Amino acid sequence: MSLPNPSKGWRSSSSRLLALYSSLFVIWSGILMGVMYYEVSAYLDNLAKHSLMQRQHLFSRFSGEQLVDALAVSMTFDIRGIDAYGLFDARQRYLSGALRYIPDGLPLDGRIHTLRDCDASDDSGEQTLPADSCDAVATPTLDGRWLVLVRDNGSLFAVTRIILHALFWGVTLTIVPGIVGWYLLRRRPLRRIRAIQASAEAIVAGDLSRRLPLSNRRDELDMLAAIVNAMLERIERLMNEVKGVCDNIAHDLRTPLTRLRAQLYRMQQQAGEGSPQAMQLDLVLAEADTLMARFRGLLRISELEDRQRRSGFVQLDPVPLLQELHEFYLPLAEDDGLVFQLHLPTSLPPLNGDRALLFEAVANLLSNSIKFTPPGGAVILRGVNDGGHTRIEVLDSGPGIPEAEREAVFQRFYRAEAGNQKSGFGLGLSIVAAIVSLHGFTLEVGSSELGGARLVLDCRESLIPQA
Amino acid sequence: MTRILTIEDDAVTAREIVAELSSHGLDVDWVDNGREGLERAVSGNYDLITLDRMLPELDGLAIVTTLRTMGVATPILMISALSDVDERVRGLRAGGDDYLTKPFATDEMAARVEVLLRRQNNVTAQATTLRVADLELNLISHEASRDGQLLTLLPTEYKLLEFLMRNTGQILSRMMIFEEVWGYHFDPGTNLIDVHIGRLRKKIDPPGNVPLIRTVRGSGYVIAEPV
Repeated sequence: MSLPNPSKGWRSSSSRLLALYSSLFVIWSGILMGVMYYEVSAYLDNLAKHSLMQRQHLFSRFSGEQLVDALAVSMTFDIRGIDAYGLFDARQRYLSGALRYIPDGLPLDGRIHTLRDCDASDDSGEQTLPADSCDAVATPTLDGRWLVLVRDNGSLFAVTRIILHALFWGVTLTIVPGIVGWYLLRRRPLRRIRAIQASAEAIVAGDLSRRLPLSNRRDELDMLAAIVNAMLERIERLMNEVKGVCDNIAHDLRTPLTRLRAQLYRMQQQAGEGSPQAMQLDLVLAEADTLMARFRGLLRISELEDRQRRSGFVQLDPVPLLQELHEFYLPLAEDDGLVFQLHLPTSLPPLNGDRALLFEAVANLLSNSIKFTPPGGAVILRGVNDGGHTRIEVLDSGPGIPEAEREAVFQRFYRAEAGNQKSGFGLGLSIVAAIVSLHGFTLEVGSSELGGARLVLDCRESLIPQA
Repeated sequence: MTRILTIEDDAVTAREIVAELSSHGLDVDWVDNGREGLERAVSGNYDLITLDRMLPELDGLAIVTTLRTMGVATPILMISALSDVDERVRGLRAGGDDYLTKPFATDEMAARVEVLLRRQNNVTAQATTLRVADLELNLISHEASRDGQLLTLLPTEYKLLEFLMRNTGQILSRMMIFEEVWGYHFDPGTNLIDVHIGRLRKKIDPPGNVPLIRTVRGSGYVIAEPV
């Protein structure tokens, strides 16, 4: 059993918060800058129009040479690239000024118009005219000529640049420290989550005395860990109580069972051989023996589950173990009319375990396969070298184990529906499961190429975090 | 007469042990606590002790350890409510000769007592050939023959026959056979041992010969001279 890995598909809440704040700030500064841009450009636009109106008003009072002089004088004060003028005769031919001709699309009506492009009217080569859009007015002079005045309407370009700069720096200064902060903020909770995961895995693996680690920061994670720890405390106490009750029941039953069996046996001995009473007592004794066998099986499981220590483990060669198992079960299989084969490579990688327990585990698997495979079938015990570690497989041509029941078969007293008519304690596979988990191995149930069940004991120690 | 000391705190269990062993012609003394048990074990001249693992006053393991350090070599059958494998190893390492877990069958217990007693008496007799009626087992060449006819036995069958013949006339339970011949201590299911005995029987007791291996209902097997 393993816990979901938090590093995949997992986002830290603090980094999410930071990302939200950052994007909110970017959006907000964008809106702010946009509004500012709109206001500033509207203001500059207004200013440009006013200045143009003032000049128009000023020049409308001059005529003849006076006007030309006044325009020439005013040009020395004009900001090049912002203000410009052009004087044209009644037939709109060029007389003087920076504008060589009247811009296209400028109505000759004495009113201010905004032009998209004033550039075309400049042929002097140097930048004397507004480069971009501008406000322009064509107004008739007192002596029947046309005066065209032009002004850059608020230096939109410059304003845009300033605003964009501000936006760029603002966003950069938000995002860069944001990313750095996100990285730093996310590291610590991740590290703590990893520590919590390690503890939780130890708990899942059976070490109920473990607790989730607490830091002294008293933050949300600590709060959660403290809540879970309190819960674990309670669960552990309940488990111990239940176990204590079971152990006591088991212990208390040993003596009465011994007494019962002993007294029945004495009665059987005393009854005359062959008498109906003796025969009946034989049956009762057989029942008592079955009862004791089941009882011992249950005790054996709880005893195996209690064992945390693995100090009795040694490096052992699986080949002789499998040969011994084959030899042990061959007569039984043959008597049941089965073909029982041992498939072994020349050598198998050694495994770390308790020889007697592994013998018991595989013996239970074989016992099951032989019991449930009908006469004429086949059972195979196979050792496989799976990339440097040993895999022990038991295959049979029996009815197999339906997918839906594959988890359940390891529960105590479970027996497959199809196999109901056969006798069996239903404890064998629980014993196997207990032995397998003690070793840190894995056991899988599948279908075999023989048509029945395939039980695979993978002798690679899985990564159980050791306390 | 062979004398047995039973140290057991449960009166009913003790009574059954005494009754069963007495029916085997043994003289049994019963003590219900550890302290007195140790005293009797040291002073009395017993041939065997059955010892409960958990006792009031002095615990069974301590009794074995004390007896062995004092040089008392009386065979001890430990009877324990603790079935853990480690517990068995601990009991045997401390000096126990055999280990039986509760709940147990009294006939099983008696069979173990008999085997221990026999082992005790056989220590000096280093026989090279075992013989039951016309069945012979050569312990050096590992050859078996019946009525002069050589029998071919598999290694396991040889071990099985040797165990039976070393305890001729003695009932051996399936559990004892499994422990002795295969060396494992779990319940392999009754019919497995039966099948192996059946194989051996086919070779030892072919049709026409007087059968030597007998099934004792409920208890186990025995090899003995035909009556």
